[in-house]
Amino acid sequence: MSAPHPEQVTSALPHEPEKATLEGRNKVLAFWLFLGGESVLFGTLFATFLALRNQVADGPTANELFKLPTVAAATFILLVSSLTSVFAIQAMHKGNRKLLQIWLAITVVLGLGFLGLEITEFYEYVNHEKYGMTTSAFSSAFYTLVGFHGAHVAFGVLWISMLIGQLSKKGLTVVTAPKVYVSAMYWHFIDVVWVFIFTVVYLLGKVG
Amino acid sequence: MATQQDTNRGSAVRHRHRVEGPQKHVVAFIFSIVLTLIAFAAVAAGGVNSSFTIILLVVMAVLQVIIQLAYWMHMKDKGHMIPIIFMAGGFFVAFTAVITALYWVWW
Repeated sequence: MSAPHPEQVTSALPHEPEKATLEGRNKVLAFWLFLGGESVLFGTLFATFLALRNQVADGPTANELFKLPTVAAATFILLVSSLTSVFAIQAMHKGNRKLLQIWLAITVVLGLGFLGLEITEFYEYVNHEKYGMTTSAFSSAFYTLVGFHGAHVAFGVLWISMLIGQLSKKGLTVVTAPKVYVSAMYWHFIDVVWVFIFTVVYLLGKVG
Repeated sequence: MATQQDTNRGSAVRHRHRVEGPQKHVVAFIFSIVLTLIAFAAVAAGGVNSSFTIILLVVMAVLQVIIQLAYWMHMKDKGHMIPIIFMAGGFFVAFTAVITALYWVWW
């Protein structure tokens, strides 16, 4: 009565295991609906930020605060992590569970690197620049928008780490494949949101 | 039974589906890097006309998002009509919120 060995299941895996079952296809479709909702969430946060970004009160302005090298490093890390999650899905389509787990693990490490940079950045702002959550309308809007994105990265790191564990336990099957696929979609979306953040918050903040 | 049918469907898809190599994704990645570099360089150089820089930045961001949605999130592939409607709906509301907030401040 023991469950089939993971390797046996893998050998019978269809080419796109995430779309092989109705449940998998529904999961992917519903995730697109979720991402549409996420776009609205971030859209309203961007709207708030754009409306309030010049209301600096007595606090520092965007131009005084932001340092381009840090932002460039964070951008590069997140962009590479998006590519590694593409490689993870390609490994999955070849039915290679080990390689899939390795690429997912690299994605998680890059996500942690991004979070490390962001936490250091926020720490500097709060402790050395006197730029806290309640300093100005600009600071509140900044921490809410960028912090929400950071929280999404943190959640993604946790989620993908757990999927790596589940792949070890249950193998790559038509049940686990849609979960991996959907997490990769989530990770790409996080990268898409970051493109708007580094443009609207940091680069436009520097230009004025 | 349902599982059996689904599995058959999966193998039918396999015959139609060409195995996609990493090349396209690497090209999309290089494009993203180039667009990002242009945006950062425009700001780092400074001194240029700022309204021109703003337009340039927005165009670079929009291009990069389109490339990533189309290639990395497979929206260019067929069978993605409903995802496109979902995302376009989300982006429409987001864009409306941004325009509203900006006008609200200007007045």
